[in-house]
Amino acid sequence: MTIEEAKFILSAFRPNGSDAGSATFCDALRMAGDDPLVKAWFAQSRAHDEAVAGKLRQVKPPEGLREAILAGVRVSDRRGGKGLGWGWIAGLAAAAALVIGFFSVRAPARPESGATALAGFAITDMVTERHGGTGEPASALVVGLQAKAGKMPSAEQIDFERLRDTGCRTLNFAGHDVLEVCFSREGAEYHFYVTRRDGPLGNSVTKGPTFVAEAAGAAAVWSDTRFDYALATTAGVEALRRLL
Amino acid sequence: MNNEAFAALVDAHYAPLYRFALSLARNSSDAGDLVQQTFFIWATKGHGLRELSKAKSWLFTTLYREFLRGRRRDARATSIEDLPPADKELAAEDVDRVSRIDAALVMTALQTVDETFRAPLTLFYLEDMSYQEIAEALDVPIGTVMSRLSRGKSQLRMALERVESAGSKVLPFPDSKGASAS
Repeated sequence: MTIEEAKFILSAFRPNGSDAGSATFCDALRMAGDDPLVKAWFAQSRAHDEAVAGKLRQVKPPEGLREAILAGVRVSDRRGGKGLGWGWIAGLAAAAALVIGFFSVRAPARPESGATALAGFAITDMVTERHGGTGEPASALVVGLQAKAGKMPSAEQIDFERLRDTGCRTLNFAGHDVLEVCFSREGAEYHFYVTRRDGPLGNSVTKGPTFVAEAAGAAAVWSDTRFDYALATTAGVEALRRLL
Repeated sequence: MNNEAFAALVDAHYAPLYRFALSLARNSSDAGDLVQQTFFIWATKGHGLRELSKAKSWLFTTLYREFLRGRRRDARATSIEDLPPADKELAAEDVDRVSRIDAALVMTALQTVDETFRAPLTLFYLEDMSYQEIAEALDVPIGTVMSRLSRGKSQLRMALERVESAGSKVLPFPDSKGASAS
């Protein structure tokens, strides 16, 4: 066995030593004991691997994920688990987690059920997820959203398919695509969501903005001829009103 | 499987599954979806598995398959032959670097490793699976796992170096003139 072969095999040796009894590593480990070059390399390699593994162990799942998993399966059990898209189940679970996790505060208007669902989805996503996305169309959309005094985009300004296909962050809500970008304006961060009008909510979202406030954040929901929109922020309803 | 047993299964595996999913999907939202979807599939199909001891491998395999199924296959169809050779030799400063930077940045660096190497590399660092189990989960030969681990580690070291020099400022849209699409 050459030094390079030994290094190659030892690259698969887990830093916690779980593979010490594996015959595959026997010769390479022996070489690491005998050859000073391999020994030094292996010590450094394990130290590096241990450090990386330790850092990865520090990455915590988002709060509520465990509850969402359990709630999602319970929901699907009750619904028979068939004919439901996963996104809907996840949405219900996330909504359930929100209900459990946050105190609701009085909403400034009594929203319709479709608006509530989309607003809840947006707020949940905003507070529980780390966002990301790519693509020039999405960047252009963000630039427009960030423009001072700019209004929210309308249907003519949104090429839904192009945004989605070029890497704009795409979520699943009740089996339908929802695009999301985040932007900041005047020091507040906002999350803008758009889904097709013929999507999960049908025509249940009214044209004018409906505001929903939760302890975790607020969302405005409105629609036009082609799309349903949601705008969510942790800066409160008044911050939303200023943009609409 | 009763509720208590299912909850125990979730408790045992959801955190490492999430870490694996996060390295693959590269965002928390999709990672959470993948983990939930994996347990949902378990609840509807996997609980018929006769040997509960194989649940861990089943869950990781299922999550990986769901990831492959969900992503646009044409986005990263790079074959290993097309990839540049790994050439970052391990140095003492590499170890120090990992100790200096925080866990989120290590994950960020891992997420920049090519997907071909990222999946086995993450499973390796989670330390839950042997190289044979990784080979089974990813459906590749054992030698391929070793090769990908070796090259993946080299890519990761380069990525850690880049991430550290860039500090904590990670912009999702490097070409967007300051704009960020989330």
